[in-house]
Amino acid sequence: MTLKILDPTIAADHAESTMAKRIADLDGKVLGLLSNSKVNGDHLLELVRARLASRYRIERVVTMTKSSASRVADAAMLDALARACDVVVTAIGD
Amino acid sequence: MCASSAKLTATGYAVADWAEGVEAYFERGWTDGLPVVPATEEAVRRFLAAAGREPGDVVITEPVRRRTITAEKVAINAVLAGCLAEYMPVILAALDAMGDPAFTLHGAITSTGGSATLVVVNGPIRQRLGFNSSTNVFGPGWRANATVGRAIRLITLNCLGAQPGVLDKSTQGHPGKYSYCIAESEEENPWEPLHVERGFARTASTVTVFAAEAPHNVLSHYGETADAILVALGDTMASLGSFSPGQSFVVLAPEHVKILARDGWTKSRIKAELYARARRTRADLKRGGKLAGAVEPDDEDRWVHRGNGPDDIHVVVAGGGAGGHSAFIPSWSRYRNSLAVTREVR
Repeated sequence: MTLKILDPTIAADHAESTMAKRIADLDGKVLGLLSNSKVNGDHLLELVRARLASRYRIERVVTMTKSSASRVADAAMLDALARACDVVVTAIGD
Repeated sequence: MCASSAKLTATGYAVADWAEGVEAYFERGWTDGLPVVPATEEAVRRFLAAAGREPGDVVITEPVRRRTITAEKVAINAVLAGCLAEYMPVILAALDAMGDPAFTLHGAITSTGGSATLVVVNGPIRQRLGFNSSTNVFGPGWRANATVGRAIRLITLNCLGAQPGVLDKSTQGHPGKYSYCIAESEEENPWEPLHVERGFARTASTVTVFAAEAPHNVLSHYGETADAILVALGDTMASLGSFSPGQSFVVLAPEHVKILARDGWTKSRIKAELYARARRTRADLKRGGKLAGAVEPDDEDRWVHRGNGPDDIHVVVAGGGAGGHSAFIPSWSRYRNSLAVTREVR
């Protein structure tokens, strides 16, 4: 006599998604920076910005900060970044 | 009482007997460190039937890590926790509350802050299911309190990925992370109970969830006046360790409640008084590493209160009849990241 026991775990949902088109370089492009709002996240992003700016002639930088590191970036913020930027870098700092 | 015939989707594993089943859950990392009750299909169907749910019903979605928890997985974890099937509606209501954006579920269960989900039960379901609101209210001894709180933790571990060191990065955590469920002693409460204050009928049964630190004991035995109790409570709430703009729970012991009521204090006046007392200067907050930066001259005269106002202090009554021990329960987070949420048990 055997017993069948059930698995209590679940995995993350994997919705279908596709990668955005890659771009060859950042010359003349708009760079977005999205901070998670934790202390030092902004420093990390500034280091990334400075490094990229030394290699490319970046047209403009758009910086945004999530209202809380514990929440997803809201749709309006993501839409605004998507509209304004050619590429976005996000960082988690603490 | 017959469960739906809908198919269960959880993977099953064959084991030789009950004891091997208990060990199998340990081996797979599916426990909180204590033995669990092996979840069989028969038990899971019984739990679903008691809740009137289909296996595939979505109970909660967590957007950050993209998790969707079905009634079947809730039932499996409730069986593991040692619940009775009749507890299912309480667990489902608590999870529904945890899914409210105001609760900030992902942050609350993963942060270094190490909070646990405090569950406060109100209404007639307390007696019907045997929830303790009296002696040793935060301690062991009552199946409903112990296993409902444990079921919430097991779901957090098994369904939300908040395993220690994986997504749960609690620096220290606290013992309430095993189980943290109390009922309010409405019978000892001369004011409105929590759920009525939060807009529900007195005859409704509710759960309120709060991402919380451990209870901080507020011992006040010798004053025997409302003022003495409020001085001790206010001082505890103003302590630097847990100071934040977040909400608070104050769990008043019946002995303290009798003195406060005798001296003419209403709940709203108690809240206003505690809000007024739970404050520190910016200078103190900076000296204690609670705010960044050097102390400026005017920081000595600039006061910061705990919370945004008196209504950020939730006052409930619970505990044994003897003893001047109330509790202050601070919110999780250095900010104001999670608020208490109440749902009716249906």
